[in-house]
Amino acid sequence: MMNVEEIGTSSRKRVLTIIIISAFVFLLLRLFQLQLLYHTEFGKKSDENSVRTIVKEPVRGYMFDRNGKLVVDVGPAYSITVTPASFNTSTLSFLSSLLQMEPSVIQERLDRGIIYSRFSPVRVKRDVDFKTLAAVEENLYRLPGVTYEIESKRIYPYNVRAPHLLGYCKEITDAQLAKVGSAYQQGDIIGSSGLEASYETFLRGEKGFEFISVNSKGQLLGPLEGGRRDIPSKEGFDLNLSVDFGLQMLAESLMTNYRGALVAIDPNDGGVLAFVSKPDFDPSVFSGVMSVEVWNKLNTNPDKLLFNRATMTRYPPGSTFKMLIAAAALEEGIIDEHYRITCSGAFRFGNKVFKDMHVHGSVNVVEAIQRSCDVFFYQLVLKVGLDKLYEYGNKFGFGQLTSFDIGEETAGLIPSAEYYNRVYGKGKWTQGYIVSLGIGQGEVGVSPLQMARYAALLANGGTLLQPHAVNSIRNKRTNSLDIIDHKESSVGIDSSVMRLIREGMRRVVEAPGGTGGMARIQGIVSAGKTGTAQNPHGADHAWYIGFAPFDHPKIAIAVLLENAGMGGVKAAPIAGKVMQRYIFGELPLKANSDSSGVSLNGTTEHSFNTREQ
Amino acid sequence: MFSYLKEYFDFRACLICLALVIIGLMSIYSATFDINNAANFYKQVLWAGIGLIVMLVTAFIPLRTIQRLSFAFYFTTFAILIIVLVIGSTVKGSKSWFGIGGIGGQPSEFAKVATVLAFASFLSKTDVSISQIKHLVIALCIFAAPMFLILAEPDLGTTIVFFAALLPLLYWAGVSNFILIAILVPILVALGALLGTAQFLIVSILGGVLLYYFRENRFAFAVALGIALAVGLSVQIMYEHMHVYQQKRITTFLNPEADQLGAGYNVVQSKIAIGSGGFIGKGFLKGTQTQLNYIPEQWTDFIFCVLGEEFGFLGASIVLSLFAALSLHGLKVANISKNKFGSLSAIGITGILTTHIIINIGMAMGLMPVIGLPLPFMSYGGSALIANMIMVGLLMNFYANRKEY
Repeated sequence: MMNVEEIGTSSRKRVLTIIIISAFVFLLLRLFQLQLLYHTEFGKKSDENSVRTIVKEPVRGYMFDRNGKLVVDVGPAYSITVTPASFNTSTLSFLSSLLQMEPSVIQERLDRGIIYSRFSPVRVKRDVDFKTLAAVEENLYRLPGVTYEIESKRIYPYNVRAPHLLGYCKEITDAQLAKVGSAYQQGDIIGSSGLEASYETFLRGEKGFEFISVNSKGQLLGPLEGGRRDIPSKEGFDLNLSVDFGLQMLAESLMTNYRGALVAIDPNDGGVLAFVSKPDFDPSVFSGVMSVEVWNKLNTNPDKLLFNRATMTRYPPGSTFKMLIAAAALEEGIIDEHYRITCSGAFRFGNKVFKDMHVHGSVNVVEAIQRSCDVFFYQLVLKVGLDKLYEYGNKFGFGQLTSFDIGEETAGLIPSAEYYNRVYGKGKWTQGYIVSLGIGQGEVGVSPLQMARYAALLANGGTLLQPHAVNSIRNKRTNSLDIIDHKESSVGIDSSVMRLIREGMRRVVEAPGGTGGMARIQGIVSAGKTGTAQNPHGADHAWYIGFAPFDHPKIAIAVLLENAGMGGVKAAPIAGKVMQRYIFGELPLKANSDSSGVSLNGTTEHSFNTREQ
Repeated sequence: MFSYLKEYFDFRACLICLALVIIGLMSIYSATFDINNAANFYKQVLWAGIGLIVMLVTAFIPLRTIQRLSFAFYFTTFAILIIVLVIGSTVKGSKSWFGIGGIGGQPSEFAKVATVLAFASFLSKTDVSISQIKHLVIALCIFAAPMFLILAEPDLGTTIVFFAALLPLLYWAGVSNFILIAILVPILVALGALLGTAQFLIVSILGGVLLYYFRENRFAFAVALGIALAVGLSVQIMYEHMHVYQQKRITTFLNPEADQLGAGYNVVQSKIAIGSGGFIGKGFLKGTQTQLNYIPEQWTDFIFCVLGEEFGFLGASIVLSLFAALSLHGLKVANISKNKFGSLSAIGITGILTTHIIINIGMAMGLMPVIGLPLPFMSYGGSALIANMIMVGLLMNFYANRKEY
């Protein structure tokens, strides 16, 4: 009894009771914290844990041409994917033999994928052929973590090219990934140039997701909640292009042997009808997997195949520039239609002689355009002056971006006094520097796209249009058509001035002594202007700009052929054929032979019936 | 009739134990039913049946017989512990499994009870007084001997449980506060030393102040403080001379969540399981963490998160309350037991069970280091279940015989 008395005193019992109670209260508080306070956070983590999200790639939008023809299509591409978390590395060499890929390449791709997530499938090989797909499929049971997925890839029916306009899609680069953020993942395809890039957000569509239950070993157990939570992918929107692909293909074939560009525009709305940059490449090389060799070949080709000559270049416009100078002079009242200059075949300014190709004698402004008299414009540009030239150049859309749909574009250059001061220093340049601007030589740079817009402006009587290739976007979710508005503005040139200039351009093509007779179109009246731009690096660049029909123009065009020589000889016939095809729907083959009646005496150009290639 | 039964039959301990065993079986069923471990559930049902019989038998063995057999029981388990250490098979890195033929078990589960009983039996001898240093040392040796064998297996968790049972026993037996603190302080100082120099210094100062406050004489104070500092310093020196991987193992032990894919993985997943359960839980057999096997061998040490996930705060707090009620009931039995053996044994048993509960649940909720300690009555495992049910049987026995001197 004594012993019992001395153990377990009531004060010690109280201490132990307090210890036990406080320990359990502590646990209860922690339970409360985890299950009630942090419930949302842990619930989310638990969902992420047990659910594998399978991304369903959307079907990229289609592109239709102006006649509703499907020109950019999609087809299935099978990609072999590997989920690093469930992949058995001992099967690497087997997989590499099936895919005919170096094991190190596969490993590298997996290593890159693991950075993002061990549980997301990594595309190891894209767009495999059916033989490879079948071989992998047969052996799937031996290859844990390996599967294939269906993606869409671009298909170009009719062998459509227009690669610089349509652009291409490529696997997203790390730099792009860092910029665009969470909508994309490593290995995704993204529009990387041309319309594919600028309309990426429309074309791409939205990824879908399938939720699959997964155990801790990463084994798929089946759709979560019977697939009720799955989000289907959403198709991308379709683009309705202004381009006429019949015309496009003719233009491409006519340009085949040249380096240069051709842009045809509807002068009524600015819609691009044809857009060619040569040399080019087949856009379908980008649609599946592009091997490094093909890419290097494209990228390092000395002809710069990827380079968009229609928008990224700065060529001197040559004599096609003369209408701008004439418009400025007439509009500013510096000259009128009766103003004449006598051309003696050369113009002396200071101690420098500026030559002309011919002795044109006395010419007014219309005749000077018709016969491309250089002396007339050497003198006229001096009268107009640099400031007005700069002002009108800008009004006509030079020296600035056209806001064309594709991102690859340069502004070009129209010089100003400020420009010369910057380049040569103040007072270190003379008026002599601007004489050659009168014939579109010297420090002036334009792109064929700007020239096509210029041709369209002359065609429609003075409206500067925003050239564009996409007329409308079809929203396939609401099935509504979103018609895109485009800017247009009047340059504010009096119609009497425009009439004179257009008359000069009509005579270039239609009148004896015009330099553009080879662009003539059987059955309709057209107008244009040739240009032959000197080029310090080689043969002259050949220019032709024009429009047709003369009275109610439906097409305006600019053709540039690098180092091809005379504009009237090389560029004009191509422009003529393209415009003819557009207006008549097809190229009347016989037109060539029975048009011989028209004589073009007194011109430097060949007669019309000799333009057969 | 019932009031008579109530006088001699500890319904509270028995019913709480049965409730916990049933909830535990449900949890084990949930954690194992759809993978190839369903056999574990049936085995556990069998163990529970055996346990129930053993518990009831234990409850009705005469108290004196138990007291007399204590040392026999103690030495038997001690011998088996030595055998296990020599020829035992290694399970999860420690030699703790003893088996003959197809039957086996973990003798350390039984050694805990045996040690408590032997200790209580020794101290309840009429000529023994804990205030005598000689007797204190013998009592401590009774504890230390199996503790070292178990530490050598190595089974750190069970060693900690031994210690956790020893402290309340000494406290209950009337050991002075100073001696208790003199035992406790070196351990705390050693822990502080593992955490860092600053922690080492703070704990040392606090320990010194405590020792000084409860000092019995200056000499004892100086010796105790000296021992504490020596232990702390040597731990720190040992730590600094360890390999980096050993140091990492210790830091991971103290802070498992620092290593999310390794040792911390279970804790992270366990917290997710419990946290995602919310107030009412995901429903029986519907816990995704459990059913998709995010926590390896969840039916053993992490059984509490099945409960938390599938039955939510409601279910888990009910179980916590049952455990708390059992602990407090154990304390009450110790308090009302008029004989020293029963009273001390009840305290030891309560200490063992409570330590298991607190450490296991704390570990599942990320409050405690991951120590391989099963949750009493609920974790899968035959030896532990039977040993725990024996302990409840003992509590029932002490309750029934509480008026015996």
